[in-house]
Amino acid sequence: MRSRLPVLRTRRRYLAFALEAEGEIQPKELMGEIHSSQFSLFGDAGAAKNRLKLISFDGRFGLLRCHHIYIQDTRAILASICSINGIRVALRTKGVFGTIKSATEKYIPQLGKISAENDGRRIELEEVSGWIIRTHGLEVDLCPDDRNKTKGSDTRYLGLTSFDLCGGHEDADGTPDGL
Amino acid sequence: MSFYECLKAYPEGSASASRLALTAKRLGYRGLIICNQEPSKVFRPEAADRIKGISLTIGAEIKATNTRALRGRIMALRGSYPFLAVQGVTEETVRAACEDPNVDLLLHPCDGRRPFTIASARAAKLNRVAIGFDLSPLMRLRGSSRARWLEATKRNLKLARKFDLALVITANARSHLDLRAPRDLLALAEVAGFDPGEAAAALQLPGKLVELNRKKWLGPGVELL
Repeated sequence: MRSRLPVLRTRRRYLAFALEAEGEIQPKELMGEIHSSQFSLFGDAGAAKNRLKLISFDGRFGLLRCHHIYIQDTRAILASICSINGIRVALRTKGVFGTIKSATEKYIPQLGKISAENDGRRIELEEVSGWIIRTHGLEVDLCPDDRNKTKGSDTRYLGLTSFDLCGGHEDADGTPDGL
Repeated sequence: MSFYECLKAYPEGSASASRLALTAKRLGYRGLIICNQEPSKVFRPEAADRIKGISLTIGAEIKATNTRALRGRIMALRGSYPFLAVQGVTEETVRAACEDPNVDLLLHPCDGRRPFTIASARAAKLNRVAIGFDLSPLMRLRGSSRARWLEATKRNLKLARKFDLALVITANARSHLDLRAPRDLLALAEVAGFDPGEAAAALQLPGKLVELNRKKWLGPGVELL
């Protein structure tokens, strides 16, 4: 029951987080996984003490409301998520705030959508070959021809940088990422 | 704080050394130690040198099913790499790793069937072998298997505290998506039963070990300057 007296209200904190994923994740799927992780780690009794609510999520950055005492537990809940509907993800906590306004101003940058489409470029090296899926700054996600290359780590793509592919800023070939 | 993480790079993981370094730098790590079983085959470690602000060390991980193979591998790798981790597979290899002062870190498999024994703990204390707790099952597993892992971890932790062993925590990442920020890893460690201060010290220890091993030691306590 919600009290009208401010001193009797539960004190809240807002966790700003960033999602790194191999595909697109919907807010509903994300919240389902967060709840599943919370119930699995702390049980129903733990979930009752620390009610989580997804305030906003734009595909990459999000804001999660939690109880002010259970910030460490909430961090653990987010850190223990490794895949959503078979897509490998990593949730990284960016910071903890007292108000939505301060969290939005400081930690939620402009939207940068994750898309899993073929970039159309190919990499042929002695150790690795495949199609580039996406590039973001120095980061390059590569879909290897040999699927066994990612065996054991459950990922779909290989994580490389433009430094690995003999590119980088120094010997750029005219493309924005210099590959 | 100088947090260090031990992980696996391509071809044993699915991210290159430079990608891991880039992600770890963003997350707030001071350094990374790549612990591949075949460290000479790491994909382009020189590319990671171009990423400033993070130190990358190539260490080695040893996984052997018998003690003879383990000792042979330790002798072969000790001279070339500043950090040696041993993945405990059987009870004999765990004991052999604890009895070898050349080993820096023992990653004990926290399962109910092979508990960490008192004799191994005593030997680890004598030979200054740190005990590593791999927190990746806390992320990968769910339900009863995770409960079993948590129970075994708590039991091992109790023994490690009793013998005052050096502790290390790691996410044992195989890709950049497995890496967690130091604070997130500390929160996970608290769930697994670590004290906050203990967990922070455990995340800093690999860096200190690498620094010590890089010095030239003539004998115990005698350094060549």
